[in-house]
Amino acid sequence: MNEDISRLMDGELEDDAAFERVVGGMKQSGAMATWTCYHAIGDSLRGECTVSPRVSRRLAVALANEPTVLAPQRRVDRPATWAWAAAATVAAVAVVGWTAVSLTDQDGSTFTLARDAASVRPEALRAQVIPADYLYAHREFSPTTPIQGISPLQRAVATEAPAR
Amino acid sequence: MTMLVRVPARVRRAIIAPVAAATFALAPHAAAQDAQTMLDRAAGAARTLSYSGTIVYQRGSDVETARIVHVYDAGEELEKLVNLDGPAREVIRNKGEVRCYYPDARLVRVEPRTFRNAFPSLSPKQLESLAKFYTVKKGGTGRVAGLEAQAWQFVPRDGMRYGHEFWTDPASGMLLKARTLNESGEIVEQFAFSDLSLGVKVDRDAARPTYAVLPQGWQEKQTKIGTGFIEETGWSVTRMPPGFTRIMEGRRRALEKDGGLAQIVLSDGLVAVSVFIEARGGMQRNTGRARQGGINTYSVRQDDYMITALGEAPAEAVRLIAVSVTRR
Repeated sequence: MNEDISRLMDGELEDDAAFERVVGGMKQSGAMATWTCYHAIGDSLRGECTVSPRVSRRLAVALANEPTVLAPQRRVDRPATWAWAAAATVAAVAVVGWTAVSLTDQDGSTFTLARDAASVRPEALRAQVIPADYLYAHREFSPTTPIQGISPLQRAVATEAPAR
Repeated sequence: MTMLVRVPARVRRAIIAPVAAATFALAPHAAAQDAQTMLDRAAGAARTLSYSGTIVYQRGSDVETARIVHVYDAGEELEKLVNLDGPAREVIRNKGEVRCYYPDARLVRVEPRTFRNAFPSLSPKQLESLAKFYTVKKGGTGRVAGLEAQAWQFVPRDGMRYGHEFWTDPASGMLLKARTLNESGEIVEQFAFSDLSLGVKVDRDAARPTYAVLPQGWQEKQTKIGTGFIEETGWSVTRMPPGFTRIMEGRRRALEKDGGLAQIVLSDGLVAVSVFIEARGGMQRNTGRARQGGINTYSVRQDDYMITALGEAPAEAVRLIAVSVTRR
């Protein structure tokens, strides 16, 4: 089983039958959260996702449909940093609060990672601080900026104080 | 191998089904023209009307609301945004300059003026790509913020972009609600007015900052990012998702780092993905993906540089872009 999970991580499980077998087995044994945890740690160590797009997409779907929760559902309420941003737009002003859940956080113990991994969807796993300045620079050129003149509040208003 | 990530037909049907009855698909080119007209009107209305209202922003299970006042007077825009949840925040936009007030931190951050000040019409190529990569549909009508709104759908034809739904006020063109959907038809992000007074006389005072004179002990900070300059960056994106074209390339100078920050912007006519290339040790330090609402990012290291793609596109699209950036 562990070998299969390892192959899955390396993107070597491309055939459908093997994929179904491994994911099915992981669901049954509760190993899905473990895999997610490994994956997240692996990502952090390698600095990028090495799972093939096809496999990770299918896994994301499998995970999204995965009801198994090893720990009580919790909102990630321990943001490492709250960054902020504001964007001047043609039609709107945006203030951005980035929820930062850095998995490379110093106190991100394996236990915490596993707990978080079990309670969040894969896409949220690598949520981390995105430089607000990038967002500002991007919004200056994005066609959605004037289009969404509806949304002067383009992104959520930060709920924490910015770093001084 | 194709770069397209196919959305299964049943998924697409699931997205379309609920509104299919009230929807008719327009001929692709006519639909794109119609869509452009709608987008142009929405951009114009948001800029040149005076209005006040409450905006509800939703992403995942988070919901935040803010009060917005927008004054258009003698060709000038003045805007005030105050959040209604959590610690008080206030954003003032005055003639392009943006100031964000953080009372609990006794801080005001000042953004540089944006140098883009008009909604650019889509190029024929972008219009073509809009029609080619989205199925544009004019939907039925429904009430948003107490107004009878016209629905519009942009259904993606591949996995390289999100789906979008817009509701506009037919009279003014003002966008009342915007929704971003992922490939499973789930709402990634939504903005909607819950109440809106449109085209009313709004007093300029209503858009003045609460802290017009900074109280004792407040700090004022400029953001690190500087004004952009259009120029060759020496970098290129070698694998753009289908339908995306480069709409801007340039540099920003005001960073501490030598060489500044290179930026290349790609767009499919509806959304954009920016690529940032920065010497390592700059702002961006983490690699991998991140997401907030409808914005995904992906960062990779390349030699002494950190490359980050960021935009209103699915995670896979920004990843493909980020990993294909090479030096010319």
